[in-house]
Amino acid sequence: MRVFFATDIHGSEVCWKKFLNSAAFYKADLVILGGDLTGKVMVPIVVRSGSFDVTFAGEALHLETEEEVRAIESQIRNRGFYPTRISPDELSTLNEEDGSIDRRFTSEMIHTLDRWLDMADSKLDAGKIPCYLNGGNDDTFDIDNVIEAAPHVNFTEGKVVELDGFYLASMGYTNPTPWDTFREESEPDLAKRIESLTNQIPDMGRAIFNFHAPPYNSGLDEAPALDETLRPKHGGAVMEPVGSKAVADAITKHQPMLSVHGHIHESRGIKKMGRTLALNPGSVYTDGVLQGAVIDLNEKKKKVTRYILVNG
Amino acid sequence: MAIKEDSEGAGGEAPTLFLRKATGLVRGWSVRDAIIYACLSTNIITLGIYEFSFNSFIPKGQLLTAVLISGVWVSFLVIAYTGLIVTIPRAGGDYVWQSRILGGPVGFVFATTGWWFILWLWAPIYGTVLNVELFQPVLYTIGAKGLASYFGSHNGTMTICLITIALAGCFVSLGMSSYAKMQKWCFAGGMVGFVVIVILLLTHSHGSFVSSLNLEAHKIFGINNAYGSTQKAAASISYAAPAFGLNAFGASMLLVPMLMFYLLWPNWGSTLYGEVRGANDFKRVFAGMFTGLWLTVGLSVVFLLLMLKTFGWSFYNNANAVFWAGKASIPIWPYPMMMAGWLVHNAAFQVILLLVMSLWFFGWVGTLFLSSTRVIFAAAFDRVLPDAAASVSEKRKVPMASLFLMLLPAVALSAVYSYWVNFATYTLDATLVIAVTYLVSAFAVVILPWRKPELWASSAASKFKIFGIPIVPVAGLLTMGLIIYNLIEWLSNSAYGVNNRGSLVFMALLYVLAIVLYVVARLVRKSQGIDLGLINKEIPVE
Repeated sequence: MRVFFATDIHGSEVCWKKFLNSAAFYKADLVILGGDLTGKVMVPIVVRSGSFDVTFAGEALHLETEEEVRAIESQIRNRGFYPTRISPDELSTLNEEDGSIDRRFTSEMIHTLDRWLDMADSKLDAGKIPCYLNGGNDDTFDIDNVIEAAPHVNFTEGKVVELDGFYLASMGYTNPTPWDTFREESEPDLAKRIESLTNQIPDMGRAIFNFHAPPYNSGLDEAPALDETLRPKHGGAVMEPVGSKAVADAITKHQPMLSVHGHIHESRGIKKMGRTLALNPGSVYTDGVLQGAVIDLNEKKKKVTRYILVNG
Repeated sequence: MAIKEDSEGAGGEAPTLFLRKATGLVRGWSVRDAIIYACLSTNIITLGIYEFSFNSFIPKGQLLTAVLISGVWVSFLVIAYTGLIVTIPRAGGDYVWQSRILGGPVGFVFATTGWWFILWLWAPIYGTVLNVELFQPVLYTIGAKGLASYFGSHNGTMTICLITIALAGCFVSLGMSSYAKMQKWCFAGGMVGFVVIVILLLTHSHGSFVSSLNLEAHKIFGINNAYGSTQKAAASISYAAPAFGLNAFGASMLLVPMLMFYLLWPNWGSTLYGEVRGANDFKRVFAGMFTGLWLTVGLSVVFLLLMLKTFGWSFYNNANAVFWAGKASIPIWPYPMMMAGWLVHNAAFQVILLLVMSLWFFGWVGTLFLSSTRVIFAAAFDRVLPDAAASVSEKRKVPMASLFLMLLPAVALSAVYSYWVNFATYTLDATLVIAVTYLVSAFAVVILPWRKPELWASSAASKFKIFGIPIVPVAGLLTMGLIIYNLIEWLSNSAYGVNNRGSLVFMALLYVLAIVLYVVARLVRKSQGIDLGLINKEIPVE
């Protein structure tokens, strides 16, 4: 069985489209997206009478036609940002009213996700290509029900699902980050959450851990060390492990066949942990490149027979 | 929680984007850190003044003119690399840019040669610099003549190369955390040392320098009238330094390929810049590298003017010329900082000054193998190299295999460098091979708008235009011009020590090795059912 795994596309529409085409491109039997689907940035396009103002990539643009606006919106979406058309009055409200930015953000996020899931219906051959999504620490809980309701995409957050003789355990929660994001918790709580998943797996020899957080100190979790103001220390030359100890302990203890991770974009890599092949394909979603892993699994041998990290 | 931001500094009151709380919204590398990194990379002390000493090989060239021409020309390289950093940020530098824009095999061949193989040669070059700027001057100053002359022998050169390799290996093994702190202190200390040198040279006349030189050279080396004998030796080899000036444009252009030895590296930290969001980041990345480059150019100009004022332009050049001609009375390389220290007739002061100035060396040597280990890891993750190449020790997380792949060939090349005199003249090969890598990246940035139009359109780099023409691809073209000019000179003019058979064979072997590695990897992986051609194939969007 061939699996394509990608992660951390953070709202990049071009990466989502590539993900939907990845099964055909890599001849994969199923595709998995390991969390952090949603974007971090919203770009207001101020609608005035007969014109539009937007600042994107450092350039203040005054647009006059619908066609121009759509072209910019496409660029904004491909970068992983949400364009939002807004009147000057609404912009003032956003500036002044508590919580209004969050509401607008959520609305744009859900609207985009709906569109994406519609695309999935056609691209995944109406469910003939199995597609599995789970949350990541940056994904709000608003997305869960939306994905659950999608007809041809499986939302696997906090579940163990069987895939042709293999067991996929998925978890978007991570250990605490400096940003206090949505799905993160202490290491002991994370360990309990992992244990509740591993308890459901009858054969670890056929298990795939799909945990958003990479294992601590595995080389798959190296991020620039930050100071108190979240600026990289020493020019970003100093990296430090920021992965999860609970995830590392679970891999060491249970020795699944495969363990796939994301979360730390700059820590693309592969690590053998006992009999477990652990990997993090990393992410460069802002470039419009979908980094991923193509992995061949042999059910009889209970092992990964081939793997390659790709920049699609 | 979300925050609003007038992030692009457009000056408007309305926010231009909104950020919500999420991982990795990290502020970029500070301009100050970037300046320090760029300034230490284009290192005036360890690389610059060492290369200045070869001025006599282009007898009519003016260093001042050449430094300024090089500074202006390399500024275009800074713009071109800023464009790459801003468009494809934090992604592995030349390897990734070339792989994405020009294809995986191109990226592999030019990244491995430019960021891995040729750094084997930088190890003995750095060893030589450590020898001539610290070991030999200090040992002679404290009276350890026997040991000092040992370091002038083949065995001594080999010893110092091994010390350098061990130092660089240790810094990688111990991790960058403490080294990065040390690097900043080294820069600060090195600058203090430079200021002391400036004060010494400003407050002493040429006459005072001549008498100090004669006195200290006699005390340290037992030489009588070092000044006069140096001038006489220069006359005996028919060398006459040109009068100092900002002129001789044509002859000075011939010095540019030499000065690339130190001025071509303001982009050395190009893989270390953070997440980029807009035009402010373009300006910040540019400012870091550009200021670092021009700080070095400024220090170079100050240094040259001080040589003119206090050493005398004729003596400064003659001392270097006779040393490289093997006719010098002073038995070691005439390190200007050592001779400046002689203005104070106190051995302790002289040693302390040499130690302080060596901070320029120690602030940079640790990064010698850093980029190489990163390229080796990237190639291993791409399955081009065996997985074991990216292995790290369990306890200390030392990248043992990649260090082994750096250290062993570096030791072997150091031996060749130390015991085969001709090889030491291939110093500029170390610059040439990296310059070729830069040439390929410059070509990548020139064609970027056509090869990746959507990526380019959404990049802040595409917004900077002059008369409607985007400046980044134009800067890429000018960078290509710089490097092609240098390549023509390196390969056609014997003054640079590059265009001899042995040197060309050495460099050709590096490219052959890279190509063979890639082809073998491709065949082996194919036999395992893995298609390396898939790595950088783009998935269709629609």
